[in-house]
Amino acid sequence: MTIESTSLQASGARTTSRAASRLMGVAILIALLAAPFVLDSYYLHAVIISMIFLLPAHGLNLIVGYMGMLSLAQGAFFGIGSYVSALAAMHFGTPFYVNFILAGMVTGLIALPLGIPALRLRTYSFVMCTLGLVVIAEAVAKNWVGLTRGDMGLSGVPQPVLGFGAQPFTVTTITGYYYLYLVIAVLMTGLFYALVVSPAGRSMIAIRDNETQAEALGIPTWSYKLVVFTISAAFAGFGGSLYAHYLTTVSPLTFQMFYSTTILIIVLGGGAGSIRGVVVGSIVFVAVSEALRISPEYRMVMYGLVLLLLVFWLPSGLTPLIDRGLAMLSGSRK
Amino acid sequence: MTELLIEQIINGIVAGSVYALVAPGMTMIFGVLRAINFAHGEYYMLGTFSAWYVITKLDVSYPVAIFLAVIITMGIAAVIGRLVMQGLVTAPFQSGVLATLGLSLILQNLIIITFGGTYKIFPGGWLEPVFFGEISLAWQRIIIVLVTIGVFVALEFLVRRTRMGKAMRAVSQNTACCLVNGINIERVVLGTFVLGGGLAALSGVLTGPINVTVYGGMGEAITLKTFAVIVMGGMGNVRGTLIAGWVLGIAESFVAGFIGLQYRDAVGFVILIGMLMVRPTGFFSVQSRF
Repeated sequence: MTIESTSLQASGARTTSRAASRLMGVAILIALLAAPFVLDSYYLHAVIISMIFLLPAHGLNLIVGYMGMLSLAQGAFFGIGSYVSALAAMHFGTPFYVNFILAGMVTGLIALPLGIPALRLRTYSFVMCTLGLVVIAEAVAKNWVGLTRGDMGLSGVPQPVLGFGAQPFTVTTITGYYYLYLVIAVLMTGLFYALVVSPAGRSMIAIRDNETQAEALGIPTWSYKLVVFTISAAFAGFGGSLYAHYLTTVSPLTFQMFYSTTILIIVLGGGAGSIRGVVVGSIVFVAVSEALRISPEYRMVMYGLVLLLLVFWLPSGLTPLIDRGLAMLSGSRK
Repeated sequence: MTELLIEQIINGIVAGSVYALVAPGMTMIFGVLRAINFAHGEYYMLGTFSAWYVITKLDVSYPVAIFLAVIITMGIAAVIGRLVMQGLVTAPFQSGVLATLGLSLILQNLIIITFGGTYKIFPGGWLEPVFFGEISLAWQRIIIVLVTIGVFVALEFLVRRTRMGKAMRAVSQNTACCLVNGINIERVVLGTFVLGGGLAALSGVLTGPINVTVYGGMGEAITLKTFAVIVMGGMGNVRGTLIAGWVLGIAESFVAGFIGLQYRDAVGFVILIGMLMVRPTGFFSVQSRF
């Protein structure tokens, strides 16, 4: 599968639909802010889950879309982040934002030494190695009973405690969760955007498109790969923290293939290398299937069909369809 | 102590034979397609499930069930090979990973949806023990090892001597030259895939009586262990997988016996990552060829 649409190459199409794009963005934001007044709590839950999965998906997008490598380890880092956040909250009673930042940082620090050997591998060897990391993370979570309580997992993770001053405030309602996670999801998406449009983001695209040439141009490709791997793991850790505080339990089940696969589907289905694609992907593949109450088995069959569809008919995911829709809205033809 | 040691080695060889029977399918499809088959363990699962189905629902005997299970699985593999695997001939490596990952999800969950997610008991098999001095061994285990050796002798003959085997080796070396010489690459891919699926199914049916439980997710662990086996054996090396399978089996049984049962399933992955780092071409050769 070639990853075709990038922020660089898509710039031609973007000028024609920039106005529509902006309009669309504002409309979506208003819709998201108004959602709790319209949707009932189950649908809000579906949107919250998709916002949680958006963060590890951004991380994977950085590896797949901007570095051109395929990783299945994102579920492992998601799980590690959820454990870090849960353990910090339960043992030290730290407030939510501390747990959140800690989860991302610790996950990144764990990913760094793992990335040094893993990134020396290429293509399918790298894929198999990242899958290995998931299995080993699961074995650690199951067997390090002193820390993780093994198969039982950790229950009673406190709900997010906010408040910087003297008045701590605990998020308990689903609407509260919704707004808190919406703010975080928007901030993290903004951060991700800032990263990929920066000179560093352009260097990543250069490495993906032609590593030898990028090296010749003086881009330190090896350091870039390592940093990208670390940042993407940190994004997964942030997502894991949100997940732990939302479900209030953490267990080794988080290391099942289900999570890595879901994150992979969001990125590839939405369109690797495209932020709007990943946002739409997390809504389409997580929120919709959650809202329709599709059982996990049927959902996995659906994901499998989506993967086959992506390989044979839609190599760039939904992004070209989104762009076409935007172009139609702005009244110009591509 | 020596008795325990011998017992662990024998257990390891039995378990390793199971892995060795599954692995040629994956290593051969890598050879002809340059794709890692993430769905390969599912054919092991399909084999076990078909046998469980024909024994409990249609009331056939175990030897007939072995035959039927392999035929059914090869039929399913033929359909999938025709629809999906042949389409991967010119595709880049990501396509192979994603398509086979998708197939794995579809097969595994369709089985769970159809037959339920509960554990089922595998009936049949030859479980009467045979005694060799102090050590007793079920007939089933001896049969597994003998069948594995037989299969590898046959595979060796197939790959070295027959037209099909020569075509497989040719495709794995240079696809452009195959087109020039009139070798039908798609047919070779299909044949290799169906053969590999059949062997995985055979392994599944033969292990059924020993593992006892049958469930939809059983193929996943096998897929993961097979990665370790094919990397140790050398990607695309059929002979190597027999030795590599036994090495993995013995390593697992030593870890289970002397360190702890819960670490057994991580052994494959530690070996996999270690091999990828230190010697990615496998134990035997510098080049990865049949």
